Amino acid sequence: MTTSGDAREQVAARPRALDGVKVLDLTWFGAGPIGMRTIANLGADVIRVETQKRPDGLRIAPPRPVGNASLNVGGYFNNFNAEKRSITIDLTTERGHELGIELVKWADLFMTNMTGRAVRQIGMTWEALHDANPGIIAMYQPMQGMTGPHAEFAGFGAVLSTICGVNYLSGFAANDPVGVGTNYPDYVVNPIHAVIALLAALRHKRRTGEGQLIDMSQLESSVAAFSGPVFAWDNARVEHERIGNRVPYAAPHGAFRCADTAARPDRWLVLACLDDAQWERCATACGHPEWSVDPRFATLAERKRNEDALEATLAAWAEAQDGAETVARLQAAAVPAALVLSASEVLADEHLGARGYFVYLDHAEAGRRAYDGSGFQLSKTPVELRRAAPLIGEHTWEIASDVLGLSPDEIGTLIAEQVLY
Amino acid sequence: MAGSLSDLRIVETCGPIGHYAGRLLADLGADVIKVEPPRGDPARRYAPFLPGVEAPENGLQFILLNANKRSVTLDLERPEERALFLRLIASADVLLDSWQPHESARLGLTEAALLAAKPDLVRTSITGWGLSGPHADWAYADIVAQAASGVMTLAGFPDGPPEQIADHQGHRAASIDAAAGTIAALLHHDATGEGQRVEVSAQEALSMAQETAMMFADINGIDRQRTGGTGGLAIRIPGIGLYAAADGWVYMLAAGTAGSGFQGVLATMDTLGYQSDLREEPWATFILESMNRALLLQAMADPEQALALARKLEHIESVVVDCFTRYPKRDLYEIGQQHRLLIGMVSTPEDISTSPQLNARDWFVEIDDPGRGRRLRYPGPPWQLRGTPATLRRPAPLLGEHTAEVLTEIGVAAGEARAFAGRRA
Repeated sequence: MTTSGDAREQVAARPRALDGVKVLDLTWFGAGPIGMRTIANLGADVIRVETQKRPDGLRIAPPRPVGNASLNVGGYFNNFNAEKRSITIDLTTERGHELGIELVKWADLFMTNMTGRAVRQIGMTWEALHDANPGIIAMYQPMQGMTGPHAEFAGFGAVLSTICGVNYLSGFAANDPVGVGTNYPDYVVNPIHAVIALLAALRHKRRTGEGQLIDMSQLESSVAAFSGPVFAWDNARVEHERIGNRVPYAAPHGAFRCADTAARPDRWLVLACLDDAQWERCATACGHPEWSVDPRFATLAERKRNEDALEATLAAWAEAQDGAETVARLQAAAVPAALVLSASEVLADEHLGARGYFVYLDHAEAGRRAYDGSGFQLSKTPVELRRAAPLIGEHTWEIASDVLGLSPDEIGTLIAEQVLY
Repeated sequence: MAGSLSDLRIVETCGPIGHYAGRLLADLGADVIKVEPPRGDPARRYAPFLPGVEAPENGLQFILLNANKRSVTLDLERPEERALFLRLIASADVLLDSWQPHESARLGLTEAALLAAKPDLVRTSITGWGLSGPHADWAYADIVAQAASGVMTLAGFPDGPPEQIADHQGHRAASIDAAAGTIAALLHHDATGEGQRVEVSAQEALSMAQETAMMFADINGIDRQRTGGTGGLAIRIPGIGLYAAADGWVYMLAAGTAGSGFQGVLATMDTLGYQSDLREEPWATFILESMNRALLLQAMADPEQALALARKLEHIESVVVDCFTRYPKRDLYEIGQQHRLLIGMVSTPEDISTSPQLNARDWFVEIDDPGRGRRLRYPGPPWQLRGTPATLRRPAPLLGEHTAEVLTEIGVAAGEARAFAGRRA
């Protein structure tokens, strides 16, 4: 991905996989918008409908420039909505709803992650969509799916993380299951699972002309990505042990604290030895070849049996080591190892930098800011961010005119009447 | 109903990083042929195990993520078997591989060699670090991607180590992105006949899961730290956070702006039949007027109010704690939700297995696995596509189970294919 002006104009001419695909985006907060951003970065025209009456919580959430309360400068919203177009419509008004249905008729794909109750309030049920556009692909992504006794249960990512098992499965037995510091399923698991289903449905539509309803329960999607322990419970009654940074099939496997420096306190590295050969190379790279012949540590079975002692040995050694230098030494010996990077270190990471992962885009109010790149790259139809996130309602006039076919007078009236609002 | 990918053949030569990608595409209908070394994929030998079944057919993680696939064993170190592999590629639409640059070079299975066999191949490369950049040939393990993506530094307690997220989220995120990218490339292939490379790095795939951390660093120059679940709040606000139940934990977000807030906590206590003074004065009025996170944080900033306020909150908290420890987590969760309280139970694997919601939706699927002498219960797919549903059609393959069958399909004479497979066994 490239960001310099000239280069961007050149790539702008390159085809993308979803050129010409039209998408109506009624998502908000985290899980929904990220998937729709990926669809936009694949080339689709994604129209995000918002309303000033109740802006997306992410437009209000931090981080934002200190003292700036604008709805257009939040990093949370902007990162996850790059390249979409934004129109403001109050869908709870009669005329607003009619305009929403016009967009349904225009769209190939529709997605919302609102609750069933909210979907009914704005009249965007599957029945209403299918009546207006029988070929539409519509994804509903409420927390627990469209049917079942908990279909109307409410919650944010933090609530979902507890219900789907992430919090219990992660962490150490000695601590309470407080979670992993983020609403993890919101950011890759649910949005990109959603993209898979939408693209699969689009392929079916292109081959048959048929649209379809996709009922995507965030709970099912999340459990699907954490399915190992429930599968082991169901079929072998394996009680999940909360083993922190270990795994059942490798040792050593964990995080070890290195020497602090003034510039970087709290310096940790991780390393993993999946077989005896890796462990032997690891011990040698650490300057302690005797570890790999110590009878307590010589085989994987022995290392698992003596894992506390193994970790204590490594921890005592690591304390005196420089983190970056040690990782380089381990990697030179083909041992999986890395520094535990902070966010600013990830932004400055030389490897990600060489690959051009982060993209810097100019935004009318937020200025030049970093955006996450795509989690996958396509060599001939690039996935790329060609525009920053939209200001709220930035494209209201152009969409009302070009897509909805309204005259300037009508648009002016609808804005004044707080329908296009 | 046919799946949306039922017409496609996919060859998968991935280590554990790509197993879930192949599984997702197979669930959508693709014929996924897993090419394993003669000794088998390493994950076949990863604990935990299915009891009563011999290695290498007992690794549960392998059995889970490789259902719906066929297995062929080929020794890609040997030129004659590499040639068979390239014939298989010629018959396929997609290759999923996890070779790092030095590995494909050593095997002679470079992109040029693959494209010579199949010029319009969709080749999906799933590795820890991607195919370019100074770390492209670095060794990979799941935890390494979690560390290098910035995700791991956010998990854990301030005085403890950074923590990995369970069940291989480096592998999972990479696989999910790979499946999405593969279908995008297939759409382009359908339209133009042109193949291409899809490239996934686990480090990059997970980076998005830093939540707001990257943006805090970019906009405010602040690195988010691990906080042990407090989100950095210096005080405990009743109704926000983790609470012990009689048999586990629940988490709730009351006193925020969404849901029923702390009134929902009181209503839940009423329904449970728990008596407390919170419905009486002065508590009832205080709760009605002040139990809102934004107001509380504002008030706590004033040192004159802070101490008195802290005493009040302490009492309310003690009542909530006392109440919740008396009741099962599922009751607190379901009754709380009926009162529109944003509350969830901290589910164990057993809780998920017995979830009334998942079971009402028939999410789990059972399938006979004759090779292992079992009927196995699988977690379902991430979505319900009503027109082209995901299906579980076959159990995880035994090692090399389909070698003869697949070699025959690519034109090896039946006798020769059987003899080849027989020598392998």
